[in-house]
Amino acid sequence: MQNTVSHQKGMAEHEPGKKRKLIGDRGNYFLDRIQGEAGVNISACFQCERCTNACPVSHFMDIKPHQAIRYIQLGWREDLLKSSTIWVCLSCEMCTTYCPNEVDVAETINHLRNMAAHSSITPKEKSLAVFHQTFLEVLRKSGKVNEFRLMNAYYLKPDIFQEKLKNGTLKEELLLGLTLLRKGRLKIFTPRSRAIKDIQKAYHQARGEIG
Amino acid sequence: MKISFYPGCSLEGMAKDYFHAIDAVFEAMDIDLVEIEDWSCCGATAAHSLSEAMSVILPARNLAAAEKMGLDIVAPCANCFNRLRYSQQIIKKKVFDIPWQVTGDIQVHDMTRFLAESSMIKLIKERVLKPLNGLKVVCYYGCQMVRPPKITGYTDYENPLTLDRIAAAAGAEVIDWSYKSTCCGASIGIARKEIGESLTMRILQKAQQAGAEAIVVSCPLCQSNLDIIQKDRPDRRTPIFYFAELLRLSFIAHGDPKWFKMHFTDPVPLLKAKGLL
Ligand code: SF4
Ligand code: SF4
Repeated sequence: MQNTVSHQKGMAEHEPGKKRKLIGDRGNYFLDRIQGEAGVNISACFQCERCTNACPVSHFMDIKPHQAIRYIQLGWREDLLKSSTIWVCLSCEMCTTYCPNEVDVAETINHLRNMAAHSSITPKEKSLAVFHQTFLEVLRKSGKVNEFRLMNAYYLKPDIFQEKLKNGTLKEELLLGLTLLRKGRLKIFTPRSRAIKDIQKAYHQARGEIG
Repeated sequence: MKISFYPGCSLEGMAKDYFHAIDAVFEAMDIDLVEIEDWSCCGATAAHSLSEAMSVILPARNLAAAEKMGLDIVAPCANCFNRLRYSQQIIKKKVFDIPWQVTGDIQVHDMTRFLAESSMIKLIKERVLKPLNGLKVVCYYGCQMVRPPKITGYTDYENPLTLDRIAAAAGAEVIDWSYKSTCCGASIGIARKEIGESLTMRILQKAQQAGAEAIVVSCPLCQSNLDIIQKDRPDRRTPIFYFAELLRLSFIAHGDPKWFKMHFTDPVPLLKAKGLL
């Protein structure tokens, strides 16, 4: 008895001012939503950690893949959307391939990434999020993704530019860019695909804009 | 034989050399590659990450175009292949509206599996003029070509063999190893260099330990990652070949060193030492 009390006290002292997380107080709303939208049977997970063991970048994640699955069951939505996990994940599909219960872990994490991108939460790994964003911007402009344009657009994003300037890698990146150009690996001009109109229309629809 | 060809964005830029090699190889094999007219980007990982709807819709436009031509698709890029197959599966579930007429019924081949069929291997062997004798290679497949099996259709995803068969048909000495489908980090190195490096360097190290003089790949992003990281590291000299480059080299008597000028880790000295250039 005494043990339990001091343990609880210990926890409270560990994170002053923070309420302890309760298990089971959030119902199944978030779980049901993700299972429905991502088409993944998250309830089947029995926490064997095989996904995490298979993951090549789990040590760069704050919430490990198997924990992410558990968090969904508990409805801890904000923690997941604020995590580095959803941006560090490479979509390498190791977790999904090796889960003994066919929980599609990669698709689940991808779905969380989608949710985070459409939320007000600032991504914990901003540079990774900005890279994906820039890719789609370039795609929408020409229907194809020209690497030269992609890299230019990416490095010119204020956040990225400042980060590169601060950690002194800007020069290195520029030199690499020049070498790539010299080797003919970058194409400066890409003709626009006729697809742009179609793609922009699809974008508007995907965003729920009518007309 | 005729098949539609979805090159993907990389083959117009970073992997232009791959494009040229494919062109030469298919021409030599008398297979008519018909580029999908006015194709557009498949959305790659970015679309999948930020907009699930677009990750289905973007590849669907190209699927629709190929269906109109009535031809199956062959895709040289692992990610394009994966995204096209993924889109087909979701189209069939009818959970998104697709703005184009598309059923998802045609076959999407990854180029290596297309060429690793026994009839194709036979054809390759007939075309080989100068076998790549003595060239010790390991084949590296990466993620998107083989995983997840329910999308890619690979049953031997733990030990894929398509590239192995192709490289062996060209006469190379193919070494078995355990890192065929370990992730290279994809585009993560652009934003988080240290993560990318940790993954890529391990693959290079393991290839060297296995006794390989070069690595054979099919994915443009794997090629760039494994190749570019070796610049400024004089202790690392493992050329990263596209399988099509090796085929092209084996199909004619005298290869041209200029074919390899886009590589960072110059393969020419190795090929010369082996008497292959
Ligand atoms: S491998 Fe599957 S069952 Fe095991 S912890 Fe991960 S998601 Fe759960
Ligand atoms: S898909 Fe993501 S979470 Fe799953 S193993 Fe790969 S990096 Fe890890």
